[in-house]
Amino acid sequence: MQMQWLRNYIDKIKPTFSEGGKFPWLSATFGGFETFAFTPNKVTRKGSHVRDAVDMKRAMITVVIALLPALLFGMWNIGYQTSNTLVAQGGEAFSWWYCFWFGLVRMLPMIVVSYVVGLGIEFTYAQIRGHEVYEGFLVSGIIIPMIVPVTTPLWQLALAVAFAVIIGKECFGGTGMNFLNPALVARAFLFFSYPTHMSGDAVWIAADMWGSDALTGATPMGQLATGLAPQASALDMLIGTIPGCTCETSVIAIALGAIILLVSGIASWRTMLSVFVGGGLMGLLFNAIGANSYMQLPFYYHWLMGGFAFGAVFMATDPVTSAQTNCGKWIYGFLIGAFAVLLRVINPAYPEGMMLSILLMNCFAPLIDHCIISRNIKMRQRRAEAARKEVKA
Amino acid sequence: MANIINIKKGLDLPIDGAAELRTTDVRSIATYAVKPTDYVGLVPRMKVAEGDVVAAGDVLFCDKKDERIRFCAPVAGRVKAVVRGEKRLLLAVVVEKDESVDKAPAPMPANLKEQMLQCGLWTMLRQRPFGTVANPDDNPKAIVVSCFDSAPLAPCYDHALAGREDDFAKGLEALATLTDGKLHLCFRAGQKLMAKAEQVKSQIANMEIHVVNGPHPAGNVGTQIAKICPINKGEVVWTINPQDIATLGHLAKTGEYKPEKTIAVAGPMIKNAHYYRIMAGACVKTIVDAQALNNGYPSQDACASLKGSRLISGNVLSGTQIDADGFVGGYDSLLSILPEGDYYDFMGWLMPGLNKYSFSRTFMSGFIPRCMHGIFEKMPKCIAPKFDTNTHGEVRPFVFAGNFERVFPFDIYPMELIKACMIGDMEKQENLGIYEVEPEDFALCEFIDTSKTDIQPVIRQALEVLRKEAM
Repeated sequence: MQMQWLRNYIDKIKPTFSEGGKFPWLSATFGGFETFAFTPNKVTRKGSHVRDAVDMKRAMITVVIALLPALLFGMWNIGYQTSNTLVAQGGEAFSWWYCFWFGLVRMLPMIVVSYVVGLGIEFTYAQIRGHEVYEGFLVSGIIIPMIVPVTTPLWQLALAVAFAVIIGKECFGGTGMNFLNPALVARAFLFFSYPTHMSGDAVWIAADMWGSDALTGATPMGQLATGLAPQASALDMLIGTIPGCTCETSVIAIALGAIILLVSGIASWRTMLSVFVGGGLMGLLFNAIGANSYMQLPFYYHWLMGGFAFGAVFMATDPVTSAQTNCGKWIYGFLIGAFAVLLRVINPAYPEGMMLSILLMNCFAPLIDHCIISRNIKMRQRRAEAARKEVKA
Repeated sequence: MANIINIKKGLDLPIDGAAELRTTDVRSIATYAVKPTDYVGLVPRMKVAEGDVVAAGDVLFCDKKDERIRFCAPVAGRVKAVVRGEKRLLLAVVVEKDESVDKAPAPMPANLKEQMLQCGLWTMLRQRPFGTVANPDDNPKAIVVSCFDSAPLAPCYDHALAGREDDFAKGLEALATLTDGKLHLCFRAGQKLMAKAEQVKSQIANMEIHVVNGPHPAGNVGTQIAKICPINKGEVVWTINPQDIATLGHLAKTGEYKPEKTIAVAGPMIKNAHYYRIMAGACVKTIVDAQALNNGYPSQDACASLKGSRLISGNVLSGTQIDADGFVGGYDSLLSILPEGDYYDFMGWLMPGLNKYSFSRTFMSGFIPRCMHGIFEKMPKCIAPKFDTNTHGEVRPFVFAGNFERVFPFDIYPMELIKACMIGDMEKQENLGIYEVEPEDFALCEFIDTSKTDIQPVIRQALEVLRKEAM
């Protein structure tokens, strides 16, 4: 076997962390690392003798891989935005590599803080509840730093992650039991607790590599909310070379992730597609009304601006918090898209309608499923009724 | 003309090592057993003791609740052992075949139903819901027979019943008399048995023939019932295996109980996998030995040479694990041999996984065209999908929803029903259609489940609670 020495070492130190060893209270943590290194040698005991090769770890890592294009582009874009602003102020432009390096240095601490805080809480809960460490936070932990402004202070991020994991997830029983998307709970926590750090013109562009100062630069949606026409063209928004949350600006990078999610079968194409349909139709409806410049905005701009694409691909499709039935997914996705555009256009005080819209529909997803399943139940009752009548006749 | 049923949802597992279409006769096997554990919810009452002499069709034990339901010796001989497990649970009654026993079988009653009950053939009739042995007092709304098996490595009944087609046809006539409803037969297009059934169709007024297309579980009788005559609360449908129909035909024709069976022996590690003709309940040791010899192991410790593999009576999705000297299950026509998967896999969740089979496309194997799955010999070993008993991960809460629907061809919401079973909400189970399913219908859901939950036991447990409640 490959890596036999590592296996031997793990087997050697395992008793220390098991019942009767020195640190039995660390068994969940140890198990977490052990199964990280080796898929266990467990064989089937009940039910089907043969099982699919996919497990939670594989599924989660596939989502993380799908997030990578957006993450890498976002890192470059952080530097690029700073460079752009400095050039406008008469400074010198960064090189391509320096843009990326700049963004990497800004992003890494956020990712580390998010994982350390989130996984720390997850490990603690696993330990207290006596179960293995579940992998749900692998995805949430990377998404959270990707959807906040680059200048978000690390302590705020840490607070938001803790809030999301404890209140958003563990309170309801942990992975698989939460009804709100944890990453969006973190985003919403920041949005309502520290609004000055989360919106406006002075949060989207980092001033330097280390500090938390910001340069001024408005997002297209920020400009629209104040009644201006967006500076960036549709092409810029598609590529993502605009100010915005760290990693959600590039629609192309997000589309790459969407392809990975759809081909691997991890995310539901129904949800994804219906979010875009819902948003597009709502945009067209506003075009028809056309009362102000925001309403006159071509409908496809809504797909390109802000967190719409990122939300549709990575957040609306969260299998735990979305509707579970196929028919329900269409309704759920459609309403997310429609509400997101509605919030953006009608209520500019909340420029990011996508977050609120997904959270709102997270709350309604069980109700949608309930209605769909009731239909199935009624069908069954009608069939039984018809059979009874037939017997009588 | 036959009705055509198209199944779209499902999955055919590309497991290598299906049985070749040739048969070895091993009816000379010495030991047989009838196992009460094969029969759902059975509480047995012993009728013989160790050392007793029995003829073929003599009772060994019967159902405590209904003594008409008798479980009988498949061959004449001596009761060799009564095997009991924990809490004196009766596991098996073992009969040693003895040709010299000249105990005459008890005289057969005139009525066919009585005959079936007396010789134990009745126990091959199963009812839905609950999967128990059919209640002789019931008049089922229909009898549905799946004349093909779509499970991985499944036996071909055309081959298994070769030479017994007339018995099969005769058995259909007999079977049709057991219900006032319809007798539904389901075939693959072009099956030889279907031609036989078409021949006798004119003599059997209440028989209907269906052709079922599509991937597994198209051959599961549950799928077919759901498409033909879904079960409502309070209704009963009976099912039976086509091989037992042939036994029934033989009984109806000659009055002799001769529970012959042809089973397939198959598995990814088996060379020369083929069919064996046995009497029901035969000990598999002889077969395993013979098969191990075929694989090139020395004869002395042939059984031991298949160590590290699992013997499964039935298919790999819903069969029962048996020992190397165990017995073929009462309802099974397949002996699957699967490598045990008790190995560690370094970074298994991160590797490309060219040879890891997954319904999802999360491994590189998902990008090897499906058409290549048919030509394993020519495939390099590193990309031939590998099947064993490893769980490939740990148990987790349900996270990924929506996949079950893709392999579950029922008008039922599988995840909702599974959850209703887990929390024991009986009203919800009924509403969601628990009476239409058996654990085996969820086998594919369990296979593809990312969270590695054991679903079939959950469904069985829920059904057992409902069954006891209904009594």
